[in-house]
Amino acid sequence: MSEVVATNETIMVVGGGISGLTAALEAAECGKQVLLIEKAPTVGGRVGQLYKYFPKLCFPTCGLEIQYRRLKANKNIRLMTMTEVAGISGEAGNYSVDLKVAPRYVNENCTACGDCANAVEAEVDDAHNYNMKKTKAAYLPHNMAYPQRYVIDPSIIGTADADKAKAACKVGAVDLEMQEENLSVTVGSVIWATGWKPYDAAKIQPYGYDRYDNVITNVEFERMMDPKGPTGGKIQRADGTTPKNIAFIQCAGSRDRNHLKHCSRICCMASLKQTTYVAEQLGDECKSTIYYIDIRAIDRIDDFHQRVKQDPNVSFVKSKVANIVGGSDGNVVLRGVDTEGYNRYANEHDLVVLATGMQSTVPTGIFPEGTVINEHGFIDLDESNGGIFGAGCSSDALDVNRAAQNATAAALRAIQVVNQVAGTEG
Amino acid sequence: MADMKIGAYICKGCGIEDRLDVGQLVNTAKRDGKAAIGKDHEMLCNAEGVKMIQDDITNEGVTHVVVVGCSRRAKTEAFSFEGVHINRTNIREGVIWVRPDTDEARETTQEMADDYVRMGCAEAKFSKVPASSGEQGLTRSLLVVGGGLAGLTATIEGAKTGYSVELVNASGELGGSSAREYKRIPHKNGLQGPVDNDIDQLIAAVNDNARITVHLNTTITKTDGAPGRFSVELSDGKSLTVGAIVQATGSKPYDMANLPEFSPENPDVMDQGQFEAMVKANNGAIKKSDGSDARNVVFVQCAGQRSEKPGHLPYCSGHCCMTSIKQAHYVKAAGGDATVIFDDLRTPGATGEDFYRSGQEAGVAFSKGEVASVKAAGGALEVGYTDKILAEESTIKADIVVLATGQIPNSGPNPYLPIELAQAKEDKDDALVAKIEAELEVQPQPILNLNYRQGTDLPHLKHGFNDSHFICFPYETRRTGIYAAGPVRRPMDDQQAVEDATGAVLKAIQACENSALGRAAHPRSGDLSFPSFRKDGCTQCKRCTVECPFGAINEDEQGYPQYNEGRCRRCGTCMGACPVRVISFENYSIDTVGQQLKAVDIPDEFDEKPRILVLACENDAYPALDMAGMNRTEYSAFARVVPVRCLGSVNVIWITDALNSGYDGIILLGCQKGDNYQCHFVKGSEMAHIRMSKVDETLKTLNLEKERVGTYEVAITDVDKIPQIINDMEKTIGEIGMSPFKF
Amino acid sequence: MSEMNQAMIEKYRSNFLQEVEANVEEGHWVKMCMQCGVCSGSCPMENNWDHPPQELFMMIRANKRDEVLSSSSMWMCTSCYNCIARCPRGLPITHIMHGLASYGKRMGLAPKEQPTVKFGDIFWKSIVENGRVNELKIGVGLYFMNGFVQGIKNALAGKELGLAMMKTKRMNPMEYFGGHKCKDRSGIAKMLAKAAEFEAEHVAKFGK
Repeated sequence: MSEVVATNETIMVVGGGISGLTAALEAAECGKQVLLIEKAPTVGGRVGQLYKYFPKLCFPTCGLEIQYRRLKANKNIRLMTMTEVAGISGEAGNYSVDLKVAPRYVNENCTACGDCANAVEAEVDDAHNYNMKKTKAAYLPHNMAYPQRYVIDPSIIGTADADKAKAACKVGAVDLEMQEENLSVTVGSVIWATGWKPYDAAKIQPYGYDRYDNVITNVEFERMMDPKGPTGGKIQRADGTTPKNIAFIQCAGSRDRNHLKHCSRICCMASLKQTTYVAEQLGDECKSTIYYIDIRAIDRIDDFHQRVKQDPNVSFVKSKVANIVGGSDGNVVLRGVDTEGYNRYANEHDLVVLATGMQSTVPTGIFPEGTVINEHGFIDLDESNGGIFGAGCSSDALDVNRAAQNATAAALRAIQVVNQVAGTEG
Repeated sequence: MADMKIGAYICKGCGIEDRLDVGQLVNTAKRDGKAAIGKDHEMLCNAEGVKMIQDDITNEGVTHVVVVGCSRRAKTEAFSFEGVHINRTNIREGVIWVRPDTDEARETTQEMADDYVRMGCAEAKFSKVPASSGEQGLTRSLLVVGGGLAGLTATIEGAKTGYSVELVNASGELGGSSAREYKRIPHKNGLQGPVDNDIDQLIAAVNDNARITVHLNTTITKTDGAPGRFSVELSDGKSLTVGAIVQATGSKPYDMANLPEFSPENPDVMDQGQFEAMVKANNGAIKKSDGSDARNVVFVQCAGQRSEKPGHLPYCSGHCCMTSIKQAHYVKAAGGDATVIFDDLRTPGATGEDFYRSGQEAGVAFSKGEVASVKAAGGALEVGYTDKILAEESTIKADIVVLATGQIPNSGPNPYLPIELAQAKEDKDDALVAKIEAELEVQPQPILNLNYRQGTDLPHLKHGFNDSHFICFPYETRRTGIYAAGPVRRPMDDQQAVEDATGAVLKAIQACENSALGRAAHPRSGDLSFPSFRKDGCTQCKRCTVECPFGAINEDEQGYPQYNEGRCRRCGTCMGACPVRVISFENYSIDTVGQQLKAVDIPDEFDEKPRILVLACENDAYPALDMAGMNRTEYSAFARVVPVRCLGSVNVIWITDALNSGYDGIILLGCQKGDNYQCHFVKGSEMAHIRMSKVDETLKTLNLEKERVGTYEVAITDVDKIPQIINDMEKTIGEIGMSPFKF
Repeated sequence: MSEMNQAMIEKYRSNFLQEVEANVEEGHWVKMCMQCGVCSGSCPMENNWDHPPQELFMMIRANKRDEVLSSSSMWMCTSCYNCIARCPRGLPITHIMHGLASYGKRMGLAPKEQPTVKFGDIFWKSIVENGRVNELKIGVGLYFMNGFVQGIKNALAGKELGLAMMKTKRMNPMEYFGGHKCKDRSGIAKMLAKAAEFEAEHVAKFGK
């Protein structure tokens, strides 16, 4: 890795999700040098795990494909996957960044032919599917993975399986001797775009995510829609039967001082969107009920909200569900009070989708002293941050459109820093 | 083309060698593809394979490289040779991975691969390496239209990046509505409540920056040219040359006169702007119209918004909840009582929710309800509303009522209304004609005054907002190099307007840098190819100038098209539109596709081997086919897939030629069209569908069944559906029989 | 008491929320409620009340002073703390309920026939008289709080338990006549008098 090309005129973008990709591409297409760092074996991030986007109900992979094409065509971007940032020191225009590169055990010779996966027997949790299914221990994370290169799970290193993978590879791409590498680079500016993770639903004790099979999260529901996903593209209950009466619980972990204080912004629209999945797949055979405090379908996407409200199979209850108890046949009973006129309910549903919030993944302890990370874990836009800028969901809970917008703005701010280094600014 | 030398390189890796006769493919490339060099290699994408090709380029003068192996979407980094045309002939995802490994399939699989080799060579033969026009230098200057918060932000950020900025403002004061604010909503740490309005500092920074020229009391009389070379004429007679434009013309408040039920004529009923001005004028004191102190202020959210009633705004304006909380803070700070009556309180994100809490902590009362009336009652006002929580009709007394009436964008006129009107008249849709005519009556004055064939201003998306409707690409307007920012683009608050303006400036700078090098903007970023036309064949029919989704093409005095490289997005919709086929790109033309479909070997009618031409949009349909291959989903061996830049670039001549040369079926795969279009070129797919609807005539003339041609809207996720469409076509051909046009 | 009530009404005119904030224990939290309803849904008392906490909070904002202070709802609170544990805004709802109950009582608006109110009265009377709680007197008081006939019925229903307790010397019927008292009854009386003085001072502050 000694050939890593980065100078104090380089912009380092950390995170290869939609925000990081956008920031990297927008900067690179202005002629700037970009080092793009991604922890996972592939870029694409959370959006690659979604079925559709609101409000157009189009497919996230469509936009990813464009970004990939831009990425492949742009020689200004240097992409490092399976790489994490261990520490950043220095100041705007001159940061020293420690990187840790995990071994992929597959080199750039890989043609993604799949022979290694066929040879390997062990299976590991499939992170792309939120561990709802297994994948071979030699795997391509998903069809839209980029780089299009397999990964060998470290758990089989030293086993016969790993040797089988190596033997199966006809192009010499499997390298079982790969080691973790540490390196240090100099960059001029940092765009932090590591995105979000779904809030751990098991922590919301009254909802029993850890106790009831038919209480799932919104991100898991998204995976159900993928024909290659854990349910083969079917909306189903834990026992494989088709639900008839789904509940969506908003603010599951958001707007709640016991969990995440902030509003996660996207979950209202996400649940509204998911009712359209139900309508698309199950039609009149399944009802959807949204339990909410405020429906935050802000600005002109409110028309999507209005459209869903027209659907006779979707109903709304203004209530934060108090708790969930077990019912018969794997069903659960939601208890609470409809606050519009105080109607106590104990509603039985056969599937519950928790609209779990967005938790920031901004780490603590690796940024230079004085970097402002607010109490919600987001990086504020603050002069004392020097040349470090949060982008996308590292700056606030944002939807894709706003994340892309924000990442574009972050790219400009980073360009201003490196221009200053180059002496071409104002 | 005297120097042309095709080198065809067939990869044997990834199981290709096991499934295909690679030697035969090499021969096909040389014999049928006229490749001067034909070679095979164990693994073309490894360093050795790449070197083999590079050596031929360097030493043998190969100008056109045909890489026969995996899809163009794979191993891009390996096959990125400079200065030559590169064709990626896909026999992995497109052939061996979609065909069964059986003895009986072997023959048709080989035929498939042979055809693709012929097609790849044919494509190469008719392609040239695009040469950058080089006609443009870098113009490091931007025009910002509108001097409100978004415009000022765009201006200062552009200057900070090293660009000179011309700021044109219609009024004599900078700051727009922000200058009229008493305090502002914080952009971070919402819990602190409203903060000082610091717009003066921003205005001062703009005025003091040597890179910035401010034009007050000025409007734009004409904008000509293209990114990198816009020439702009101002109302004061000055003219400017700029590389790109940011339009930040903001919004105006919805007129509360439209809400008679809220007594808008009462001087103590105000909209948010009027209330803000009153508080600012009184330096924080809350005064009624008669000058007395107001104790109780009621804020009515969604006044005339989120409503389907005639004359109301159907959308949510995004900022009003936050603004009312801010203003309720003023009331509490002055010692009064404030009540906000809302339906859904929309304060998203971390700052938003914190700001809501700050309002609650200050003692603002929030009530979920629907306001029915505001009436004068005994020297005060009485607000009648349904309390949705207590489920009862209620009234509340107020000294002042503030109506949160929302934003209306300050857009220019919608350039496409006249076209839509013409279409509606043609369709005899009287209701729509009336609707559009009514809209045309109230169209605003032009802002940019673009001297474009397709109108003076940015196209509207919805409700008058300028937007591309892209989720992933918020800045892609349909006028390259012109970016809308702030509430003219979509309803938004201050914080978002600042972000939006900053992002828009980046795009503007990028447009300058791109056009200086002749590179395309999104989504074919970096593409250097560029359409040109053969004047002697042109009939001045204007289809290209009308159908270009980006308004890139003007007409000269004689009606000939004038292309503008910087405005062009390289989709080829003009090429698809041209009835006399005079438009082409260096590496994408009537020939590069037409010759491919002619290169396919059409077996005799009695061989029972039909041929199905699949014209697949390279953005979504083609990747989906790739993924079908990755999934090893089988489809018909009779399909021959040709990727196209956009279905809009498909010229009907290809269909006619294919039918005449004996293809049995033709499938066109494009993206979703219409309001929720997914076409990367906005209108391309729609244009293709309109054109193809007329293919029935051709089929009739040829006495062919209409089932032989199918046009589909597909998505990148239709990984199973697209193979099904292909297989269905094979079945259909089995039912209706082979084409009689085989030679 | 009604005098004080009147004073408070005068003082706070149509702003009951401010009155609550100033006078009710933890009352300043009421404004932070965002009407999500999780407290109401979480309360084990379910339908045994007129107005669950969140509705009370909304009623406070809607100036429904009499309805709130004379409500029996907050007297139903069993201090299970479910609402506090779940409130997303961190409102100390249990404490607010008790604060509202006590304020209503002070204003003389607490419902006279509500069992918890009565229990409170009997409990307090016992303390004042004896300096300690006489369990038997409280028990009998509660049995008979809804009239003599009902008292007899209650006593008969509890007969088996009562006899068993006597047998195991867990209850001495003679306690009803006199019974244990604390040693320094006058000291207790002085303490209570002092407390009443503080209370009066506190109230006087609001009177004007």
